[in-house]
Amino acid sequence: MFSSITRRGILAIYAVIIIVPLTVVGFGSFKSTQELFEGPFSLPQSLSPANYAEVIGGQDLGSSFMNSVIVTAISVPLTLFLASLAGYAVSRLRGFMSWGIFGFLVLGMAIPAQANMVPLYVLFGRLGLLDSLTGLVVANVVSSLPIAVFILGGFMRTLPKELFEASSIDGTGPWRTYVSIALPLSAPSVAAAAIFLFVIHWNELLYPLLFIQSPSHRTLPLALLSFQGEFQTNYPLLFAGVILASLPVVVAYVFLQRYFVAGITAGASKG
Amino acid sequence: MSIHPGTAAKTSALDSRPGAPDPKARRRSPTRVNPALYLFPLPAVAITAFFLVMPTLQAFQYAVTDWNGFSAAFNYVGMDNFIRAFTKDSLFTNALTNNLKFVLLVVVAQTVFSLLLALLLTKNSRGSILLRALFFFPTILSSVSVAFIWKFIYDPNFGLANSVLGAVGLESLQGSYLGNNVQALYWVAMTQVWFHAGQMMVVFIAGLQAIPRELYEAAEMDGAGKWQQFKSITWPFVAPATSIVVAYTTVQSFKAFDLILGIAGNPPKASLDILSTRIYSTFANSEFGYAAAQSIIFMAMIALVTWLQRRLLRLTPKGE
Amino acid sequence: MSQISRRQALSVLGAIGFGATAAACAGPGGSTAPGGSAGAVAPSAGNITGKVSFAHWRGEDKVVFDELIKRFAALHQGVEVAQDISTSNDYNAQALQKLRGGSIGDAFATFRGSQFNNFTQAGIYTDLKDSKAASNYQPGLLAAGKSGSSQLGLPYQVVFPMPMANVDLFDKAGADTAPKDWRAFLAMCEKLAASGVIPISWPGGDVGNGGQLFNCMIANNAPVDDMCAQIEQGKLKCTDDWFLKMLGQYKDLVPYLQPNATGTAVEPAQNLFSQGKAAMLATGSYHIAAVRGLGAKFPIELVFPNTSTGGNAKYEGVYNATFILGVNAASKNQAAAAAWIDFLSEPENAAYYANQTAQHVSVDKVDYTNPDLKRLSPWLGKKTALAARFQFQNLDVRNAVEASATAVISGTSPEQAAEAAQKIVDERL
Repeated sequence: MFSSITRRGILAIYAVIIIVPLTVVGFGSFKSTQELFEGPFSLPQSLSPANYAEVIGGQDLGSSFMNSVIVTAISVPLTLFLASLAGYAVSRLRGFMSWGIFGFLVLGMAIPAQANMVPLYVLFGRLGLLDSLTGLVVANVVSSLPIAVFILGGFMRTLPKELFEASSIDGTGPWRTYVSIALPLSAPSVAAAAIFLFVIHWNELLYPLLFIQSPSHRTLPLALLSFQGEFQTNYPLLFAGVILASLPVVVAYVFLQRYFVAGITAGASKG
Repeated sequence: MSIHPGTAAKTSALDSRPGAPDPKARRRSPTRVNPALYLFPLPAVAITAFFLVMPTLQAFQYAVTDWNGFSAAFNYVGMDNFIRAFTKDSLFTNALTNNLKFVLLVVVAQTVFSLLLALLLTKNSRGSILLRALFFFPTILSSVSVAFIWKFIYDPNFGLANSVLGAVGLESLQGSYLGNNVQALYWVAMTQVWFHAGQMMVVFIAGLQAIPRELYEAAEMDGAGKWQQFKSITWPFVAPATSIVVAYTTVQSFKAFDLILGIAGNPPKASLDILSTRIYSTFANSEFGYAAAQSIIFMAMIALVTWLQRRLLRLTPKGE
Repeated sequence: MSQISRRQALSVLGAIGFGATAAACAGPGGSTAPGGSAGAVAPSAGNITGKVSFAHWRGEDKVVFDELIKRFAALHQGVEVAQDISTSNDYNAQALQKLRGGSIGDAFATFRGSQFNNFTQAGIYTDLKDSKAASNYQPGLLAAGKSGSSQLGLPYQVVFPMPMANVDLFDKAGADTAPKDWRAFLAMCEKLAASGVIPISWPGGDVGNGGQLFNCMIANNAPVDDMCAQIEQGKLKCTDDWFLKMLGQYKDLVPYLQPNATGTAVEPAQNLFSQGKAAMLATGSYHIAAVRGLGAKFPIELVFPNTSTGGNAKYEGVYNATFILGVNAASKNQAAAAAWIDFLSEPENAAYYANQTAQHVSVDKVDYTNPDLKRLSPWLGKKTALAARFQFQNLDVRNAVEASATAVISGTSPEQAAEAAQKIVDERL
């Protein structure tokens, strides 16, 4: 449909539109504001880590980074665990129960987070979950359960029933079957869901914005957002922050690219 | 809950739904289910009920009050909040209009553009694979990061866009981008497309690669042109992928909260205010009751648009 | 992992145990916070120990406060002060929700105007009328922290939200930094433009900073001093002649602003000024330290865009008393928080703050040694108007009214812009 030149042209232009801004951000994170504004495309005069030192130490992005690590490291496995339990049950149960539970759990995909934020805020206030990382874990798990159940439940259902039936004839309980048969067989789907959850939990902004009060409990996206205020839109610092905040996902992407594409695509095509 | 004809069901095109009657399963004699199995979904069901369903129902309860979020006293005001939103609050109707415009822009641009990229990169050559990885890359960044990158691009004095235009002698095209109230939304829509087109491209590629090569060969022998082939082979095959892309993009762009806050600040100016940011501003102004009412309208809006799209896409004949 | 306490984990489990139904019965109301403005009481006395959370929005002052905290801690054994800093926009939007619970902000700062009033209504302040701190302030500057007979907060800073001028560029262009009226102001801009620089750098893409110019433009145009409050109450209108005249004057400024001004963020605007490309930065004296940090070496003066005709202006400038210090009524550590405020309000410490941050303060008997502050000190004695935009109670209204000025600069006619703004005001009467 397209001549080779048109095709190459379009692809090259878009590649430039992706690469150039990212390069400017990378270079910019080593520059002073003056240097950045005088020549956004130029190589940095030195690879001085001053901006990084400032965002990690001075702006305390280091502790936000740790907060993000803690929240993501707990909420991703927890969501996977709860969702796979539910997904497994849904794939084994029959009729109304299976259908009803599944429907109830995935219903949440239709509820945007902004829709119930006011009552959720009040509820969190009553439970003492405001301004705590526990609260963020809870919010992450709740908001991503529906999609996780959808992905995992959908996959588990395609597993051959005979495997489960054989084991239940052996007298193996459902827990053992779940651990030793269902989970290992669902590994690809779990991996895809894990990546999907990792990216959304790592980048989550609304809940921290809503619930977190003390700067010491900020996660990365919130800390980044707070960088640009009325008195400080310091682009080199912002860029260093952007690089730091993206580092874990980018490293993971380089090594696990296939799962990323599978995971985020699964999230999209099922979400 | 009449609010979800959309998201949960919309994917049936590609996905067999668990729990739906399966002819093979029905044929088999029902094996007894271990009762312990009923405990498995319990934690998920409990926290969903408590932290998701209940707050959503409560939103309806709050929506008919004038509660300010901190005092113990409040009044029931009936439908006043809803009436106010639609007839007496041009900031809300402005956010609603902006949001619908934004969704429409992004859905059309992103779908067309990601399909174009997918068509160009269907083959699994080394170059294609590399470019796919590159185009997919922005998707993994956080919205705040993307917002900051583009804020710098759009900066009229020192930003990339005007620098590039200046360097190639197109000073006349230089603009103030986000500073131009008429255009601002378009520029943010463009950022959103840059952000997510790669993700949608991958969905399309999966659809395109499922097309048997023989069909094209046969068509070629019949003397069908490229456009003819696209119309009669490619398009019918990517139609399911298209409905996924459209539905996902719709929800995603309804919720472009993070991107807008990052790029336009908190609160964003009127020309960049969308429903989610407006709800947040109302909430921050301590009008909890009114914010809840706005949330409900927001939910209904998403449901309505998703439903309309499903109707429209279903009207597209599959095997034209 | 220390952030996730067992108590919280248990409370989650417990809550699930109670079931959704029980909680669903609890509707709005029944808040956990101290309510009502039924009269603030003095902060409770007690030992000055423990950890004080000091919530404010001035990230650029962090280092200076850290030094003051060190000195404060040296005076009282076992006391610690931690700064909880948000950006000003976030602080404006969220501080109320955050402070009500008392988990942060034992001592805190507020903006003058709507935020102060909201805090007052929510009962967050204690009364500092009889505090040691209050007696250190210039009495005339305390008004912004008063409510009835109570002194709920102490406005710490005095800032001049007026354009800053690069005196070297003014001298080169032969322009006068003290125009007597609007015609003189425009003539001054014309001279600057003729000398090859951008006369005014204005961050129109940033609501908070771009709106400071509004304070100057409205001061001599409005028929009364509480014009913004009256606009909000519907007594004055954006469609009134005087307001339209002001918008017309905004239009006069367009040729003298940097290109695409309405899309310019703060930092780029500051850079145009600090690099000597623009002769004025239309934000305020609170940006001096930032501009110096960007490498500006030239002497800085303030310029008042005097909108009057014929040189008989009511005001020669505008000022704002802000960064209102208070002690949180929900705090469990009021004694130490109050002691911290007392400490900040001592002339010696206030002087350290002022000179290090290049901000004037409203504490009396302060010795300004910072050259910028010294140069600008005469402004403390001039006839200046209290910045008007902070009279707005409702942020939606404030943004709408200020947006009318931005709209005019981007080409909308004053009449249309005024009508659009007035519509939003009317909806919120």
